[in-house]
Amino acid sequence: MNKKNAFPVTPSTIIRLVLVGVFDVAVLSLIRQLLNDGNYPLSGILGVVIVIITLCFSLEKLRYYRWLGVSLAATTLFVLYPILYTIYLSTTNAGYGHILTKQEAVDFLESQQYVPESGQQYKWTAYRSLESIDDYVLWLQAEDDATFLTGIGTATQPASIGEDGVGIADDKGIPTSIQGYQRLEKRDTVAMIDQLGELEFGVAPDIIRITSLTAAATTQQRYRYHSDSDTLTDAETGLVYHPDEGVFTTDDGQELPPGFRVGVGLDNFERFFSSSALRGPLVRIISWNFAYAILSVLCSFALGLFIAVLFETLPGRQIIRALLIIPYPIPALVSILIWRNLLNPDFGALVSLQNSIFGTAPNWLTDPKWTRIAIIIINMWLSYPYFYIVSSGALQAIPTDMMDAAAVDGANAWQRFSKITLPLLLKIVSPLLVASFAFNFNNFNLIYIFNQGNPPIAGSPIPAGHTDILISFVYRLAFNSAISDYGLGASISIVLFLFIAAITWGQFRYTRVLEDQTV
Amino acid sequence: MTDIQTHSKPIATTSYNKPNFSLNYQQRRWLGYIIRYIIAAILIVFAFVPVVWVLSASFNPSGSLVSIEVIPQNPGFGNYRGLFENQYYPYLTWLRNSFVVASVSTFLSVSSTTVSAYGLSRFRFYGRKTLMRAILIISIFPAALSIIALYTTFQQVGNHIGILGLDSHASLILIYASGALSINVFLVKGYIDSIPLEIEESALVDGATHAQIFRMITLPLAKPILITISVLTFMAIYGDFVLPRVLMQSSDKYTVMVGLYLFQSADYAQNWGVFTAGAVIAALPILGLYMLLQRYIIGGLTAGAVKL
Repeated sequence: MNKKNAFPVTPSTIIRLVLVGVFDVAVLSLIRQLLNDGNYPLSGILGVVIVIITLCFSLEKLRYYRWLGVSLAATTLFVLYPILYTIYLSTTNAGYGHILTKQEAVDFLESQQYVPESGQQYKWTAYRSLESIDDYVLWLQAEDDATFLTGIGTATQPASIGEDGVGIADDKGIPTSIQGYQRLEKRDTVAMIDQLGELEFGVAPDIIRITSLTAAATTQQRYRYHSDSDTLTDAETGLVYHPDEGVFTTDDGQELPPGFRVGVGLDNFERFFSSSALRGPLVRIISWNFAYAILSVLCSFALGLFIAVLFETLPGRQIIRALLIIPYPIPALVSILIWRNLLNPDFGALVSLQNSIFGTAPNWLTDPKWTRIAIIIINMWLSYPYFYIVSSGALQAIPTDMMDAAAVDGANAWQRFSKITLPLLLKIVSPLLVASFAFNFNNFNLIYIFNQGNPPIAGSPIPAGHTDILISFVYRLAFNSAISDYGLGASISIVLFLFIAAITWGQFRYTRVLEDQTV
Repeated sequence: MTDIQTHSKPIATTSYNKPNFSLNYQQRRWLGYIIRYIIAAILIVFAFVPVVWVLSASFNPSGSLVSIEVIPQNPGFGNYRGLFENQYYPYLTWLRNSFVVASVSTFLSVSSTTVSAYGLSRFRFYGRKTLMRAILIISIFPAALSIIALYTTFQQVGNHIGILGLDSHASLILIYASGALSINVFLVKGYIDSIPLEIEESALVDGATHAQIFRMITLPLAKPILITISVLTFMAIYGDFVLPRVLMQSSDKYTVMVGLYLFQSADYAQNWGVFTAGAVIAALPILGLYMLLQRYIIGGLTAGAVKL
């Protein structure tokens, strides 16, 4: 408050601080829940976000950062965190059967119940609260005809007709009503049996659950985790499980799903670089990845530049330009799907056209060589308009006095183009060529939508295709097969990122993007 | 353009004097035109094959797949009717989802891009250069590489807050909007850099706050670049496939791109004509946007080429 003189407390300051406070409280409550799951990475980054937002918007010293605060927080959460999390995943065995954190796996196992041999069996009748649709009580009849009343979170107690709010009995000896509750009819019971089966009546350790339409039973927690010895015991069988490579395992090797994630160090990277089983398909994928990205950029750029130069002075070029740019504004996915259909071996229009002209047509979707050619052609179709636009712009940025001088010196059109225009133009567009290479290197959409990376490589230990690039292979590893190997997928993502980051960083050092154009 | 036309004259005259040419200058110029028009025609055919074909197939009632006739015999809107009346594939819902997600994300993304760019352009504070470098490096990381991490993250958060989980448009919008600190921030910053400081300084002297200057001076002046990045961002999000494909799980949450993909991978032959109609409708909004704002898009791409 002693700062009041220096910084008058205006309504906008108060609104700002209140908003920050509300945000902090909301995020803190999420963090608390995530910590309960044992999800430390996400809790940590949310903590960082809170610090960024709170400091930016409350400290006068950091007032310039306010302009960037929200963007920074969002970027931290949705761009930086996924990168860090990918790095983390790459050092774990996360994947099929190892999705949960250890805490989540323990929580899940500890929630499992079983009916012990000594457990009581009851016939049950359910009554629903008149006030809350989630609150029920059960009227229980034991085998010895003793009767009990039990509710959610309230202890099971002996009860009899006509006492403590229990209403009169029907002809089967079941009360027709219980104070504050309404009896569920048979029909409703059948409809709601799944919901009712999830409810836990009574208090631990004597939890009563509905086990069938007619029976309820005392159940007990089946698995108990001992954090000091790091073991899990099965109360029903007496088996003791130790965590072993991300799954609880007995000494004689019985495993208890679900498994959980554990760190495996750099094993995934080692597999990527030196597993002999993976090497065959990986070498193919990587060499095609490079060939595809380089050829795509070169062909598209060459065609775009060719068009830009050829039609630069042609009468009617505005119309030609408008027509030739048509592939650019069509969403790439739509175009790729159309191309896929045009080239379909069974009923593609282009294939039947080729058949009628040449009597034969290559198999565009199943022959590895032709599928690759098709991908390059389609990518040319997709991206030449971009290079056409960019090259036209760059051509106009090239100063004309040098051309004049060269023309006076007797240089012909080709000499002037190759010796003056092209080098200058390349200097302007080379950052874009590099960016386009980086984009195409990870152009998942084209590869996946055109043919999902197929045709498959025969005999590959992990499903892989002849047109798979690394990123589509990562997708296959993570989402598209029974392997679901997040760890290996994440480690390949990291390698890809380092590669792309290195070339892009090198590229930006030669551009003016980091310079300030005034001041 | 005009510059270059005048330059072409001297060269032409030099080669005109070569004896082995039987055509005169005028004739050779026309020959050059004709050859170039022929090349242009070939290229236009290449550019238009998929477009013409999908249009014609979408109006072809026979749904004959092998059809290579350009103008169908009994053109009609049957495929389009089939598209909107299809009960298994809620096409209109997909289209609406795409529009909602793309517009909201674009608005959020462009807003925070612009605010950040103003901050980076107008103020000098500790860590500014480092921050800009960090933004550059981070913005390189392709979203496709983060899909595994994003998927598991939203799965975990969704356990506690349903609306920020898988199968929710809010999650998708947050990811797209957070792409704000990307290369776009440098485009806008460069543009704001080029707006003279004098106007703002006099406003400051008159007692305006930076927030007021930003709203009343910078924003109106930066309109061209804002339109450019808005259109480009909208087009990119509308056309995105991999994120909604992985994060959206129930068919009424799909975007039109994911839906279209399913259309044709599902019951292929049966959905045929309907797919082509869907492809035409999905492309139309972006085509329209492009025609309307062509100037800004081409300007933006060219600026990206020359300035960066």
